[in-house]
Amino acid sequence: MPEKIMVVDDEPDLESLIKQKFRRQIRAGEYDFVFARNGLEALAKLLEHPDISLVLSDINMPEMDGLTLLSKINELKKPTIKTVMVSAYGDMDNIRTAMNRGAFDFLTKPVDFNDMEMTINKTIEQLSILKQALKEHDLLLSIQHDLSVARNIQLAILPKTFPPFPDIKEFDIYASMNAAKEVGGDFYDFFMIDKDRLGFVIGDVSGKGVPAAIFMAVSRTLIRATALKGIGAGECMSYVNNLLCNESVSSMFVTVFYAILNIRTGVVEYSNAGHNPPYLMRTNGEISEIEKTGGIVLGALEDYEFKSNSVKLEPGESIFMFTDGVTEAFNAADDLYSEERLVELLKQLCGKDLKDVVDAVNKDVEFYSTGVPQSDDITILSIKYRNPE
Amino acid sequence: MEINANKRGEITFLSLKGKLDSVTSPNLEDKLLRLIDDDNYNFIIDCAELDYISSAGLRVLLVGAKKVKAKDGKIKLANLKRHIKEVFEIAGFTAIFELYDTTEAAEASFGS
Repeated sequence: MPEKIMVVDDEPDLESLIKQKFRRQIRAGEYDFVFARNGLEALAKLLEHPDISLVLSDINMPEMDGLTLLSKINELKKPTIKTVMVSAYGDMDNIRTAMNRGAFDFLTKPVDFNDMEMTINKTIEQLSILKQALKEHDLLLSIQHDLSVARNIQLAILPKTFPPFPDIKEFDIYASMNAAKEVGGDFYDFFMIDKDRLGFVIGDVSGKGVPAAIFMAVSRTLIRATALKGIGAGECMSYVNNLLCNESVSSMFVTVFYAILNIRTGVVEYSNAGHNPPYLMRTNGEISEIEKTGGIVLGALEDYEFKSNSVKLEPGESIFMFTDGVTEAFNAADDLYSEERLVELLKQLCGKDLKDVVDAVNKDVEFYSTGVPQSDDITILSIKYRNPE
Repeated sequence: MEINANKRGEITFLSLKGKLDSVTSPNLEDKLLRLIDDDNYNFIIDCAELDYISSAGLRVLLVGAKKVKAKDGKIKLANLKRHIKEVFEIAGFTAIFELYDTTEAAEASFGS
């Protein structure tokens, strides 16, 4: 693409002179000249040729002079148009005025064409640096846009209406996700497998950004689709693991805790694929880690056989699930929030409404890490078994 | 994060100092992949001074483990602090990595 240059001068001979002097560059497709006889005509040409990037303008012209033209060009607010003023030798007043009004450079009359060529080339070089910077700026904006798309994917697929099944009285469920500034890959999900069984899951994808968001969306969909077949928790994890091992680019993986609550009996069958062990909250204030099932994160090791375990909930008892954004929140002294602090807090929250429990934990984590930017998603899912009566 | 590497015989020793998280793990990934590209397939990673590991750090180790496995190599870990060992156990990474109490024990296991 030739660089489009507009020459504004009321001298009619200049056009042929320039075309003659720069014939080689014109033929080689480096320069393309547009001519105008005064400021007004120049403005019209600018509209007609929006790709003009360099304006060489005389100062003294009829209808609209060069200094007025310069001001008008500035009003266009197009950083990719540079103006070089051409003025009589020694006309320092006008030259200073032009420079102060934002002219890029100046030439003196009578025009020395070698100097003009050097000035044109230097200006074009500056313009190309500027255009490159603008392009990179646009690219950054589009990446930022992509990231917000990824963030929206993550948020949009999480169920957010509570209570999700208002007609079912056998359990309460509540969840929250406080997303870190950079897109992470936390998720939670829950669904009725059949009229007696609630499936629920919490997970955390390794890494951040768009790849993590996509991997998270894939994981969540595969788990839900597989779980809805009604198979056991361990079997479900084994199946999804093999699917994710095929999907896993650059060794991404996801930690998952998946469980199935039988709402008639309170029995929870679960399988833990490398996720932080959730806590069992007994009504007497006792907090215990849910026994591990020895699983590995999903997407790391093919053909791994995941085991299930089960625990029985009495009415009023609940399971508190979380991602490491909770226990690994740093404070200003660079210490971790820790499981110990979480357990101490949960002890005081036994028997409370789930929403109050979740809110209290979020508040305590926020208080703990005051002044420290949040580096990871903070996600909590909790369910409580209830007496239907 | 400080990473030091030196080679003794067929085994490359890496020692990690500090936090291995989403900020620092790309450094380890670069270093590890470069060493593997230069035909180093057996590693002992000394974690005596590793204070913290996040899932991003685990991912880098997994990348390395998969790469060396294709060349019949192994990455073994030694001297893990208690809480780091717990992270490995929770994530189930003990099914992929052998953990040793000392680098000597890890080194001896390569001989056998």
